Amino acid sequence: MSRSTTSPPPREPWFAVRRDLSAKRATVLTIISFALPLAIWAAVSYLPFLWHPDIRLQLSADREDVTTVYIAGDRVSKGFFPEFTEAVRAQNQAVEEQLKSEDPLGGISDSSVRRANKKILRHLSPILISNGIITEEQSKDDETIYKAWGDIATGAWVPKSPALTDENIEIVKRNWAVMSEVSPVYDSDNFISVPIISLIPQGKPSNPDYLPDPGQVFKSGAKAFTSPGEGDRPSMIQRVRHSIFIVFGGFLLAALVGVPIGVLCGTYAFFSKLIEPFTDFFRYMPAPTFSTLLVAIFLANDAPKIALVFVGTFFQLVLVVANTTRRLDLPLLEAAQTLGANQRQLLTHVVIPGILPNLYNDLRILLGWAWTWLVIAELVGVKSGLTEFIETQGRFRNFDMVFPIIILIGVIGFTTDQILALLRGVIFPYTEDGAAASANPLVKALMFIPRWFRQAVSERLPADLANHKSLSTKA
Amino acid sequence: MIPPVIDNLDYREQSPEVKDRFTKLKQRPVVLSVDNLGKTFPTPGGEVTALKGVDFEVFRREFMCVIGPSGCGKSTLIRILAGLEVETNGQVLLDGNPVAGPGPDRGMVFQSYTLFPWLTVKQNVMFGPKMEGKSGTSVEADARQWIDLVGLSQFENSYPHQLSGGMKQRVAIARALANRPRILLMDEPFGALDAQTRAQMQNYLLQIWRNLDITILFITHDLDEAVYLSDRILVLKADPGEVDEIIEVPVPHPRSLDQFITPEFVATKHRINQLIHPESESKEDVLPFPRMTAEGDDVE
Repeated sequence: MSRSTTSPPPREPWFAVRRDLSAKRATVLTIISFALPLAIWAAVSYLPFLWHPDIRLQLSADREDVTTVYIAGDRVSKGFFPEFTEAVRAQNQAVEEQLKSEDPLGGISDSSVRRANKKILRHLSPILISNGIITEEQSKDDETIYKAWGDIATGAWVPKSPALTDENIEIVKRNWAVMSEVSPVYDSDNFISVPIISLIPQGKPSNPDYLPDPGQVFKSGAKAFTSPGEGDRPSMIQRVRHSIFIVFGGFLLAALVGVPIGVLCGTYAFFSKLIEPFTDFFRYMPAPTFSTLLVAIFLANDAPKIALVFVGTFFQLVLVVANTTRRLDLPLLEAAQTLGANQRQLLTHVVIPGILPNLYNDLRILLGWAWTWLVIAELVGVKSGLTEFIETQGRFRNFDMVFPIIILIGVIGFTTDQILALLRGVIFPYTEDGAAASANPLVKALMFIPRWFRQAVSERLPADLANHKSLSTKA
Repeated sequence: MIPPVIDNLDYREQSPEVKDRFTKLKQRPVVLSVDNLGKTFPTPGGEVTALKGVDFEVFRREFMCVIGPSGCGKSTLIRILAGLEVETNGQVLLDGNPVAGPGPDRGMVFQSYTLFPWLTVKQNVMFGPKMEGKSGTSVEADARQWIDLVGLSQFENSYPHQLSGGMKQRVAIARALANRPRILLMDEPFGALDAQTRAQMQNYLLQIWRNLDITILFITHDLDEAVYLSDRILVLKADPGEVDEIIEVPVPHPRSLDQFITPEFVATKHRINQLIHPESESKEDVLPFPRMTAEGDDVE
């Protein structure tokens, strides 16, 4: 018996059919819900043994007789990479053998050998750029590159990130030996005219370009957002504003027209039978099919885009609002009638205030619906906003630029929805949400705003008016 | 089970003061008069008669309960009285005038909670006057008075979701009374409440009724409730809904919970039970399930 008094309380199970978890557990799981996809993305990106089917070239080389050119930054498949490097090595072998033969130039003119050599010289520049020795604009600054060859050969400077393979350092030393003999500094007119050998392509395992790593995406995103707009290329903030304008424009128009119609349909059988059947039919016609038509009607600027969001949202909205209106408790209407409400008062004093909380929720969900039309709407007519950016960057396969925008659209939609959900309790304190919301610390903080507002207003009111007001409430 | 000894007492036997009370009651003006009321509903399988030839009168300040087996048309009756449904034949007269459609002269309290969730208690009570176009401090003061009457002054600024079921129904009563109706129609208003709250609500209602000039027609399926509250009980029978009997409750006023075991009370209850649940039917209540225990065991 004494044992039972000291036994610890039974542990709540993590898995129980239709049982709520404690607030703490729920929060933990919510955090994991976001952290997990991010962790998987990071793991696939940063752990080379997980996937990484490609090699991303840090340094490339030209091959004779092959038209496909790979430059540093390109990705080649893991299967092809050894073939590639072998081909370049074989090429080098051939050059060495040529040099040992009686005809070292192989019948090629001095100038073309020089040209080929200058190319080889510049193959090092991607390594120099990523090591911060030269900038992107200096990638053809032969003088500096030439000096870097020397520094590497003599060991005065060792590239760190990325480092050169031992094989390539040997090649640098070998080339530098013959190059420095001709001229210790770069001299375009007095450039080595004996063939030098090519650096061997080197690279690191990587994922395909369509899966950039989180760090890269974050960097590109930050860059995209901080770079100002120029000419007719708007800045990212302007693009975001434009996209929000399209979505909210279309949505608000749809709500402005659709809510009254929906309420009428839900209230009067007359409007329901007159309007809903056609609306029901129309909503099955996908909004994008109207895009060319909308351009013909509204021409090429923002109007057809807003119209597309409108067409995509309006018909759903009418039906949803009509249904919500119909769901209003019938006994409430009957009670109002027995209290003397006439037909008009039923609409204004019972139906409309009665459906407001649900209407708010409907509109919240339909706003999410409107967001899904964004990309299609912005492709209509002249491409614009965030979509234009995605389109352009996607065509250049700059997926590290595309990802931040996709994520951004999600973040905007999601946070708007969450804020609206939270505000519901504040706006409608008489709902169950309202009770829950007033316990939410964030809402408590938000409630400060209306309180502050009221206080500010009453302070600014003329004293006699404010007094009068307080008297009348006391009476 | 009602002890058989009560059978000897006739529910029609009234003490002199009860008899006197009924004589006076019937001399009062008639508030509500129901005249040969009938209601049929069209269904796919033909017409269904819900009410047929219902005739009765309710006198001023009378408390009348309507009771009957399920499907006897109690709710249809009160909905016609409220004007929420239209009778097929016959008519309803309020103070001698035929009623057409719902109106504030017949207040109604529903079984389901019908307070407007977006209005506070006070705003709910002020709803009727507001519909009449009345507003201002006098209406507000009036509303406060009605809220006081049902004992909820502390809750006048609460929203309905913050109230218990019993409190909600008290507000609903106050809201109906704020229109100063000629008659208060109550459709099983305490049906959704637990037993304790229901008993409390019955007491509140009797007090309100005693203190105000108000006539009440109350629908219930609870025998105790009907006998405890009523002056007279209208017993309906089903298929079709017809008046079976109008019982004059011989239990003296004022009513109290102690009367539940008085012979008059039990006899009245027994009579209603006979009417709405005849002996012939109770035989059908025996389950066909074969007995699996020894006959005459200690449970029996």
